[in-house]
Amino acid sequence: MSASDGPRSSLSRSVALVWRTLRSMRTALILLLMLAAASVVGSLIPQIPNSPERVAAYELDHATWGSVFRASGFFDVFGSWWFALITALLFVSLVACLLPRSRALIRAARQRPIQARELDGFPSYVRTRVPAGPATVTAEAAKLLRRKRYRVAVQDDVSVAGEKGSLREIGSLAFHWAFLLLLVAIIIGKGTGYVGHATIVEGETWTDAELNYDGDLRTGRFFRGAFSGTGITLVDYEDAYRDTGIPMDFQSRIRLLNPDGSFAREADVRINHPAVFNGIRIYQYGFGWAAVVRVAEGARVLFDGPVVMGQDPLPDQNPLATPWIGVVKLTSLRPQQAIVLELFPDAEAYFRSLQTGVAQPMTEANAPFMRYQVWEGKLLDASRAGLDTRFMRATTSGLIGQGWSVDVDAGCAISGPGDAVPASLEGISCPDGAAPDALTMSFPALRQYSRLQISHDATVPYVLAAAILIVVGLLPALYVSRRKVWVRARPDDTGSIVDIGGFALQRKDRFDEEFATLVDAVVRASGGTVDRDPQEVGSP
Amino acid sequence: MTTAQWARLSSDAFNAALFGYIAAMIVSFAYLAFRKGWLHTAATAIGIGALVANAISIVARGAAAERTPWGNMYEYSALLTFLMVLGYLWIVEARAKVRTVGGFVYGLAVITMAMAVSFFYVGPTALMPALNSYWRQIHVTSMIVASSLLGVGCLFTVVYLLKLSGERRTASRLQTQAPPPIMGGSIASDPSAPPDFAEGADEPVGASAASRRVGLPSSATLDGLAYRFIRFGFPVWTFGVICGAIWAQQTWGRYWGWDPKETWSFITWVVFAGYLHARATAGWRGTRAAVVALIGFVSLLVTYYAVNLWIAGLHSYAK
Ligand code: HEM
Repeated sequence: MSASDGPRSSLSRSVALVWRTLRSMRTALILLLMLAAASVVGSLIPQIPNSPERVAAYELDHATWGSVFRASGFFDVFGSWWFALITALLFVSLVACLLPRSRALIRAARQRPIQARELDGFPSYVRTRVPAGPATVTAEAAKLLRRKRYRVAVQDDVSVAGEKGSLREIGSLAFHWAFLLLLVAIIIGKGTGYVGHATIVEGETWTDAELNYDGDLRTGRFFRGAFSGTGITLVDYEDAYRDTGIPMDFQSRIRLLNPDGSFAREADVRINHPAVFNGIRIYQYGFGWAAVVRVAEGARVLFDGPVVMGQDPLPDQNPLATPWIGVVKLTSLRPQQAIVLELFPDAEAYFRSLQTGVAQPMTEANAPFMRYQVWEGKLLDASRAGLDTRFMRATTSGLIGQGWSVDVDAGCAISGPGDAVPASLEGISCPDGAAPDALTMSFPALRQYSRLQISHDATVPYVLAAAILIVVGLLPALYVSRRKVWVRARPDDTGSIVDIGGFALQRKDRFDEEFATLVDAVVRASGGTVDRDPQEVGSP
Repeated sequence: MTTAQWARLSSDAFNAALFGYIAAMIVSFAYLAFRKGWLHTAATAIGIGALVANAISIVARGAAAERTPWGNMYEYSALLTFLMVLGYLWIVEARAKVRTVGGFVYGLAVITMAMAVSFFYVGPTALMPALNSYWRQIHVTSMIVASSLLGVGCLFTVVYLLKLSGERRTASRLQTQAPPPIMGGSIASDPSAPPDFAEGADEPVGASAASRRVGLPSSATLDGLAYRFIRFGFPVWTFGVICGAIWAQQTWGRYWGWDPKETWSFITWVVFAGYLHARATAGWRGTRAAVVALIGFVSLLVTYYAVNLWIAGLHSYAK
């Protein structure tokens, strides 16, 4: 762009030059192509917001390129300064382009169509003789044009000017302004919004506050920490599967609480059916099992509550057929201990898998049981979900079914195993009950948890409105054609000589037909007969 | 009929359509070369037959899977070829009376179908719940309609560039004072409808009669056809992207996330917006605008194929 090397002598002249350059269609075109090119880079190179692990892997494999890409923002194209620069230039260019166009449109809307003096120079032109006088001819022509929804101006009963198709420019301007609005709304919405995930066990309540999010919480650049404070109680989670194991539906029944804790209403959150409340949108995102576990040392209760369990399936494993894993960390014991739980929600399906060798999905709770493994040593990560076993050693392990209680140190069951337990789990009862100060664990219930995605984006309605306006404006901008027609009549001994001229800026083929029928209609309305010599229709 | 029978019918009809398009392509090119009327009649008849087979394949697939038959790349491709050929037969042959470019369109249909069977075949299966949305239906349908329109438009751009270079060569060889009758892409003769749109107008006229590519319509006609298709496809694409965003908002809680499929549909949109601008920009009309359209074509192909085949993304449903 030559804008920057404009004459230095006068600042205002350079500003004018820059402004003119930005206004030109060519600049807009080049900026559009640059925007496209930048997006190509963003789709070919892994991006930090979408796949940080792939970025890290790339940097390990290609140290030099990795550092070049990082320094130049190629790993976050859509957040980079140069992407913002292109967008900003496009912005300015759009505004520079739209302001004068809008002003011109408003001016044109106020003006009446302008009369033309020489009609024979227009692409479509006819001269003909009719019996009626000039005043009748112009009146009839004006009527005809109005009926065809032209804007019409009549002057001195001898000339008529008509124009049609300003909707094209209106549509085009609406489209371009809407695009601008769209960009602004997106930037404000994403900039002041946040997205994160909440894990809620059935029966529990979660509050929208920074510390309660699990995993990565993404906040916009201009977000100032105003989380909504909304409370969400998970009443019930349900899912449904086809026989083939393909999921059909996931649904969370929730109670929504106002920030002051009072009950607001109930809602069902399903895939594709989010709940909207108090400025946040709540989506069904994931689910899992939470074993309710009670761990005690003698009479002292060390842990009592649901353990949120996750999965770690291998890529080729069916996640529904793999066990769920959770950890209970007992920080108050010396040495510290952790119990790793491996849950099989459906014992029957599990044993069928063992028998048939084909992994069976465990989608429902059916005599659930867990394997447990006790670790002893130093807990490095007491507050996190996983377990770092670098300073720990494995001690006892065993099995626990729902409704049982076990002696964790001895690895045997104190009570429970019996009727509901599959045969292969038997024979592990403690021979003589629990020791008085033994570490015991019971597994009274299995619940489900739901992972909900919580997002706040205040401008979604504006983005939608702008998007609709884009489509609505685009149609006339592409399909309406602008046409102008003039009719002039002057007296002749037998009637009038009529000149009709006009042109279309777009879709000229259609206009030729329209013009011909218009001429016929004017001639007929002025008492003439239609037998035009084709030569007369000038179309150079 | 049982599910298996429907599935069988669908793939038989798919193959019939593929071979039909191949035959129609060969016969169309033969017509372009030898200009015998019966060849054109035969090409159209075969083309319509293959189109019917294509439609049967789509309907049977829907019956086999018990849902609308556009749930994965294989199914998109079948619908895409159907729409491309339908659009061609209707808009180009029946309305614009241009008959010599059929071979290119059938060729595009053949490539699309061949890609579908070799890379994307999957049996008729049910969909994940995330895909089970009303907006998804509208989104996918409009994206396929738009792809077919833009694809055919770009195809005409390619033919236009071929023809234009032929016309230029002829013009310089004949050393004529006057330029060829219609310089391609000039806005002066509105490209959306050059005067030679009437029946038989794709016959060679004037200086270009001596051109070796005698059979093709004039470059202005081709440019006009390309513009017609792209102008039609662009708002549909715009609408489709917006519906996709609404669906994404509903399903993933964000209307836009720059995942590769989204990014490429944006790129394609921007490039075709560039094409529309280029046609209105002095100095860009004609060849340069055509080049922008070709970039758009490449981008369309990447959006449609490469993203699914090579670039990982959230839109894994398209596997
Ligand atoms: C920011 C991205 C932009 C997009 C996506 C865009 C898109 C479009 C589209 C699709 C059209 C076609 C309508 C038609 O053919 O009538 C169009 C027309 C037009 N655009 Fe843009 N535009 C953008 C920016 C700009 C800018 C910055 C300018 C000013 C320099 C501009 C000036 C125009 C003009 C004057 C037309 C009318 C062309 C005509 O019909 O003669 N556009 N734009």
